[in-house]
Amino acid sequence: MKKILLIILSLSIFGAYAQDNTNTSTYKKRVLENAEIDFVSSYYEQDGNNASVTGGIGTEKLTDVTPTITVTMPLSADEILTIDAGISAYTSASSSNLDPFDSSGASGGGEYEDDDDFSGSSNGNAAGTVTGSPWVASSGESYMDVWGNATVSYSKYSDDRNRIWSVNGGISSEYDYFSIGFGGGYTQLFNQKNTELGIKAQVFLDNWSPRYPTELDSYVDAGGDLNNGFFQGIDILNAQGQIIDKNGTDLWGPVEGFSLIQDKARNSYSVSLSFSQILSKNAQISLFVDIVQQQGWLANPMQRVYFGDRPNYFVGNASSIPNYTTQSNTDVFQLADDIERLPDTRLKTPIGARFNYYINENLSVRTYYRYYFDDWGMNSHTASIELPIKLGDKFTLYPNYRYYTQTAIDYFAPFEQNLSTQQFYTSDFDLSSFNANQYGIGIRYTDIFTKLKVFKFGLKSIDLRFAQYERSNGLNASIISGGFKFIFD
Amino acid sequence: MKRIGISIFLLAAMQSCVVVKEYEKVNINDPDMNLAAHKCERFETNFQVYREGASGANGGKTGGGCGCN
Repeated sequence: MKKILLIILSLSIFGAYAQDNTNTSTYKKRVLENAEIDFVSSYYEQDGNNASVTGGIGTEKLTDVTPTITVTMPLSADEILTIDAGISAYTSASSSNLDPFDSSGASGGGEYEDDDDFSGSSNGNAAGTVTGSPWVASSGESYMDVWGNATVSYSKYSDDRNRIWSVNGGISSEYDYFSIGFGGGYTQLFNQKNTELGIKAQVFLDNWSPRYPTELDSYVDAGGDLNNGFFQGIDILNAQGQIIDKNGTDLWGPVEGFSLIQDKARNSYSVSLSFSQILSKNAQISLFVDIVQQQGWLANPMQRVYFGDRPNYFVGNASSIPNYTTQSNTDVFQLADDIERLPDTRLKTPIGARFNYYINENLSVRTYYRYYFDDWGMNSHTASIELPIKLGDKFTLYPNYRYYTQTAIDYFAPFEQNLSTQQFYTSDFDLSSFNANQYGIGIRYTDIFTKLKVFKFGLKSIDLRFAQYERSNGLNASIISGGFKFIFD
Repeated sequence: MKRIGISIFLLAAMQSCVVVKEYEKVNINDPDMNLAAHKCERFETNFQVYREGASGANGGKTGGGCGCN
């Protein structure tokens, strides 16, 4: 990899200086003439049967609405400032089942709305009334949440527009996660702006405010006493549906050595290299290489794991235990053995390429390919194609298709198929082996004269996109997004 | 990897023989020829980062800033 990058750099610099001595333009055009505002929003929904919060089975129903605003303004003829802010409001059946024990109303609205509140008092439930199911969304703490993000970027161009420096910084936050990110980049254009080389570095310093599955959190909080905390007054059933004696020897408990997470940091450091080249009057290509090193708690503390070599225990309706893994189970929940455990480092290397070809004034081809590998054992290929079709002067249609495939990481196994003897394990199907097809269509309205005015802003374009995503393991998703671009006159 | 390296080498070498002048870049400068994702695509890229194990090399997230993969 190092050699390849050195070759690119050497050739680009050599090639550029060998023939590029033509930057003679004396007219200095502003990099950005007027301020621009983009309002872009999306609505996303998904459903599937492999929720990671409930150990690889259960509903993955989720909806998300994300409005964002991006303001881009010229600070001078050479400088641009961009401010980007957005929120993502979601409802998630999957993550709400962090605390699944309220679907019967047993704990809904009670003190266990707060997953961390196990103050040792009675849970207020009569024995046997508490139920739950991986197939039913509870109304737990994380049923509705908001992720917020704000980023500021600054770019400066050289007089000849062949060198660009940029820096950025931002924060994002949601109820169990906080992130500070910053970075910088440098781009050099050569060869009469036919060739472009870029390097970018980015750091994210993230922190978990971890939330844990209710039963595990309670177990730790009560010091392993099943007669106290959440389990006080609640019957625990064994695999045969018999109520266990909480003072006996046949007891549920997390895996031996269970502990909550100690290192709450999750940091990511990335370096991105890019190279683009105009190949002809109608074709251009770009190549990207990212090297991403992540450190810290890279597993998700909300995600349960069930081991195949440990006995199973339940809370809820004993007669539903035989149907536990089917959607007909609406009132029994299996107590977790552990949370997901993954290595505390991950090195990711995606290599991507774009190739765009202008066929004629009505049709272009946009293609993208990415190969990805990491040191957790995952390999992936992504390929996409889009065919922008111009319909007159103002409208463009964007039919597109994307194919994705990945292998599983070394630590993945489905529900009840990990072993407690393993060091690392997960039942997160996002890290399993699958392929996915995405079909989409978009339309853009463009008015280069910005005739429609809203105060002092002229409407430049309107975008609308729809995509349907279908994964081979049953997860389906759809997303609709739209945006308005205004130019300050 | 070897093939990728050779491809990159060849593409880099091509710059010394291909020069499209500014006034010839009408087609290249078409907005649909931009070598980046559309702004509206950011949401698609974002959900893919959550629902898939791979990320990066597309101008989107590479894994930081969220509890995603």
